[in-house]
Amino acid sequence: MIPATLRANFSYLLRHPLQLALALLGIGIGVAVIVAVDLANSSARKAFLLSMDAVTGEATHQVIGGARGIEEVDYVRLRTVEGIRTIAPIVEDTVSVNETSFTLIGVDLFAEQEMRTFTGEARTTGGDDAAGESLFRDFLTRPGAVTMAWSTADEFGLQVGEDFEISASGRSYSATLIGTFGDEDDSGLQNLLVADIATAQVWLDSIGRLTRIDARIPHGDDAAFARLEAALPDGLRVLSAAGRTRTTAEMSAAFMTNLAAMSLLALLVGVFLIYNSVSFSVLQRRSLIGNLRALGVTRGRMLSLILVEAAVVGSVASILGVATGILLGDRLLVLVSQSINDLYFRLNVTDVMVSPFSVAKGLAAGIGASLAAAAVPAIEAMSFPPKLAMTRSSLERRTGRLLPRVAVAGMLAMLAAVTLLILSGRNLVAGLIAVFLLILGFALCVPLAVRAASAVLAPLASRIGGMLARMAVSGIGESLSRTGVAIVALAVAVSATIGVSVMVDSFRGSVDDWLQQTLQADVYAGVQRGSLDPGLLDAITALRGIEAFSTSRRVQLEDAGGRTQLIAIKMAPGSYAGTEIIDADPGDVWPAWEREDLVLVSEPYAYQNEVSRGGIVQLPTDQGLRAFEIAATYQSYDINASAMLMSRNVYERHFDDDGVDSVGLYLAGDADPEAIMARIGEISEGRQEIRFNSNARIRELSLEIFDRTFIITDVLYWLAVGVAFIGILGAMLALQLERGRELAVLRALGMTPSQLGGLITTQTAVIGLLSGIAAVPLGIVMAWVLIEVINRRAFGWQIDMSVAPAILLSAIAFAIGAALLAGIYPAFRAARSQPAAAMREE
Amino acid sequence: MRGRRCALVIALLLPFTVFADEIQAPQSRLSELLSSDSDAGFAKAIEPRAFVFPEDHGPHPQFRNEWWYITGNLDGEDGRRFGFELTIFRFALTPSLPAAESNWRSNQVYIAHFAVTDAGRERFYAAERYSRGALGLAGASAEPFRVWIDDWEIAAVAEGQPERWGLRAADPGFALDIALIAAKTPALNGIDGLSQKSAEPGNASYYYSITRWETEGSLRIGDDAFRVSGLSWLDREWSSSALAADQLGWDWFALQLSDGSELMFYNLRKLDGSQDEHSAGTWISADGSSTHIDREDIEIEVTDTWDSPEGGQYPSAWTLELPDRGLSLEVRPVMADQELFTTVRYWEGAVDVRGERHGAPIEGRGYVELTGYAD
Repeated sequence: MIPATLRANFSYLLRHPLQLALALLGIGIGVAVIVAVDLANSSARKAFLLSMDAVTGEATHQVIGGARGIEEVDYVRLRTVEGIRTIAPIVEDTVSVNETSFTLIGVDLFAEQEMRTFTGEARTTGGDDAAGESLFRDFLTRPGAVTMAWSTADEFGLQVGEDFEISASGRSYSATLIGTFGDEDDSGLQNLLVADIATAQVWLDSIGRLTRIDARIPHGDDAAFARLEAALPDGLRVLSAAGRTRTTAEMSAAFMTNLAAMSLLALLVGVFLIYNSVSFSVLQRRSLIGNLRALGVTRGRMLSLILVEAAVVGSVASILGVATGILLGDRLLVLVSQSINDLYFRLNVTDVMVSPFSVAKGLAAGIGASLAAAAVPAIEAMSFPPKLAMTRSSLERRTGRLLPRVAVAGMLAMLAAVTLLILSGRNLVAGLIAVFLLILGFALCVPLAVRAASAVLAPLASRIGGMLARMAVSGIGESLSRTGVAIVALAVAVSATIGVSVMVDSFRGSVDDWLQQTLQADVYAGVQRGSLDPGLLDAITALRGIEAFSTSRRVQLEDAGGRTQLIAIKMAPGSYAGTEIIDADPGDVWPAWEREDLVLVSEPYAYQNEVSRGGIVQLPTDQGLRAFEIAATYQSYDINASAMLMSRNVYERHFDDDGVDSVGLYLAGDADPEAIMARIGEISEGRQEIRFNSNARIRELSLEIFDRTFIITDVLYWLAVGVAFIGILGAMLALQLERGRELAVLRALGMTPSQLGGLITTQTAVIGLLSGIAAVPLGIVMAWVLIEVINRRAFGWQIDMSVAPAILLSAIAFAIGAALLAGIYPAFRAARSQPAAAMREE
Repeated sequence: MRGRRCALVIALLLPFTVFADEIQAPQSRLSELLSSDSDAGFAKAIEPRAFVFPEDHGPHPQFRNEWWYITGNLDGEDGRRFGFELTIFRFALTPSLPAAESNWRSNQVYIAHFAVTDAGRERFYAAERYSRGALGLAGASAEPFRVWIDDWEIAAVAEGQPERWGLRAADPGFALDIALIAAKTPALNGIDGLSQKSAEPGNASYYYSITRWETEGSLRIGDDAFRVSGLSWLDREWSSSALAADQLGWDWFALQLSDGSELMFYNLRKLDGSQDEHSAGTWISADGSSTHIDREDIEIEVTDTWDSPEGGQYPSAWTLELPDRGLSLEVRPVMADQELFTTVRYWEGAVDVRGERHGAPIEGRGYVELTGYAD
């Protein structure tokens, strides 16, 4: 038997289905956003780790070499001379099949049993012995034979026995799917091609070379490790497999942290919304609470009633929110994977992996915020004598008294944020916490500012729009207990839009300037992976109309300290101007750089590694570890920003590598870039797939990638804004419902429905305006923090901040628009209400 | 010794081609492989050939399979008794291979089994390796003679006759490094080295043995090193065909007798339990001359059995009667458990021989291989 008091509470909600729906919607969306972002993030990370684990298999260590990997004879020597057995050679790189990226691993099946099971576990459709024997034979002896996970073959509609094209090192090859491995659960094995090492060497243009040697050393067997390490020739290093996975994962760490920051923002806005929704439904019932209290229901009983109700509503909404969040996470994940693929490493995520942790986080936020949101106004309502609790005016008076105190708390939070920023040095997480303290603090100050603004604006409004306008404006200040939270939520959402837009805009501007400077050559040609066919390179650079050319080679150097990207450049006379040297005189730097063991480091490299001009970096060259002096720092917004430049002369002294990835062509004055590119197309046809573009086109493409990277940012902010919009809608609706009697009186006094509608519309517009205006300073501060603190700490980029007025104006316009849109229905409803009925209600 | 290790080689390859769906009984698995035309394109052993040494110690890649097989009985300086087996199999996946850019491309597969019997301590050690015959990871060459996988190898240390070879193999738990000097010239098994398997032409192998090698060197078990010396036995066989579908397994005897003679005999067992008519052997007298032994010339009786802890029952003692030679022998393993759990499970172990020849006592040592008992 449900106690009458509880029934009274719930029946209230049921009699006001719209309010119930809004509360559910508000909590639900808040939870959904939290869950979605969290799932997308964690799924991307988990998918990456899974695929790394699958490919790493039982290997505990990996032997790596210089720019071009390891010479295969070194592997043979380890086995036949040194007698080291638990090692397996790997030739690995990314290839593409129908524009989709695959990881190709070339293995030696005979060594694989020490490392991986799936590589030797392929089966054919028949599954009989003769088929099995021929599978083994084909894998080893048939050029182009590959196996892949059953699910991947299924996804791409490939049958066992079928031929398909793969593109590797800019060339096209014919592959045959001779068998599949894995079963239903082949997580981490998707988009993986396994081939014999002989096939992989041909496709990946690495005859005679290995990408790495996997090694299995029992945990704690230091002697085995020492033996392997001692057996390695100069230029080869053994690193822990887990460490290498971590290094790869860390490449995207800054990106992931930024996503997590956005999910925190979503959480913040979501909690605002939940608070808003629930506290309204309690505030609505002040008179009911007062009546029940007058009838003798104790404070404790009353409080628990309200909390039970909040918990029930919060739970239902949170569960719906989690379900929505999982669906939404799926969409977000596509965007996240896309960005990671563009920027860092191959990541193939097909499904969101629902982690209990993410779900729990969403549920906790939803239910917790609902309880807190209900408890605060409920406790406050309990603290009044029963009769007094029934009056609204007392609440507003209390809220009014509270505002200065809240604002002081806000100021303190902002002060804490500034202190944290100053003290936290280079810590990214501390930077993000400071951002949220800043937002929180600012949010707490908004209500007081709005009240002050409405007091100032009211006389102004009356001059412009007469009595009605004055009523509308001053009404905002007088109903802050209801509208305050909505205004704050909208202001925070809009300021976030401003902050991010200004940051992205400034960033884009800096990148664009940099691209213009960097792209000095007229035409660039190169291969995405591997190196340019030397004959083709000669043919291209010998084309008529080319005055000079530069070449570049990008390699990853790796040792226990991590990875360094080295770019070896042979400069053309016109190339030097493309690199802006920040901290030295270019006239001094360049001649020395061409001759001596010097490198230039990019600005992000200098920031992240805390090095500067005159410092020394140790690089693992093909002759072992060598010291290079940093000649200067240069500006770079390259995607893999942490890089260093070495002159080709110096590079060839230290590395056994004559490969070139790309070439910059400087044309004679009368040469036509289009004609040159057409010729490159002709001479490379059938030899190697070359990417070539004019400098203008490369700039365009680079900016396209830049923009695509920030799509995910946009999407998240629109979600936050959506949450805020629902908040405003709920607040306005609740306000109008509650003011039903007041509005009826106004109607009875002769106000027409359209005047009433106008009153409400004006009010919402002003709410929008105030939120928008409040958002501007916060937005600009946020942009500054994002640029100077977050981006710097995450990537080491130095970005020139520029605030486009259009961004600010459109943000304010957006706030007004959102508020107006949210006000339409409440205004329509109020205008349509029957004054007599409304006045009779009490 | 027709077909013996050929079937082993094929079976060894199977684990690489896992049939996740159905694992079939080994004999039907073999029969399917053997009834296929997989020997098409390979050279076949049809007629007797002239054996030339040292060339024929080297590989014959035009044939599908081949092995170098050395067993031996050794004594430590303190009298501790040891046995060893090192077998290197070569298997061609295809008759030929188009020229390839990558050094890794190969149609040759090498597999090795290395086992040591420590009879003094009743311990048995075994290890297995496999590799492609490419890049020097594994391979075989005639001049200078060498066959190897990783750092396991059998190689000539000097040119000319008699053969002087070295054998090196090491696993973390046990290792062997010995020098072998041939005490006899190669003995051709079957008819002039052509070991016929069935009535069908080409269903045969080329098969020779060097049945006595003076052996000495070092043996390591765990951290204990021993100087060892004794006698070894080499078996060499290549062909492109394998066991018949109705054959279950074989018992192979390689016995070195105290009067300087040796007896090799393989007893092929059919699925129905009977002896296959192609069972045969060779008698090598002290002066090195060899005589073919027909299945009618020998009578073998199992006098004891041993139950493997992992299941399956092996014969563990025999009497061999060769009435024409006045020979009566008892053969008994130096220890019961010499079973290998390599990719294929079989028993291969050192044995002691005791008996009479024309009434005079005779003794000896040897190796026995037993397959098809525990699959």
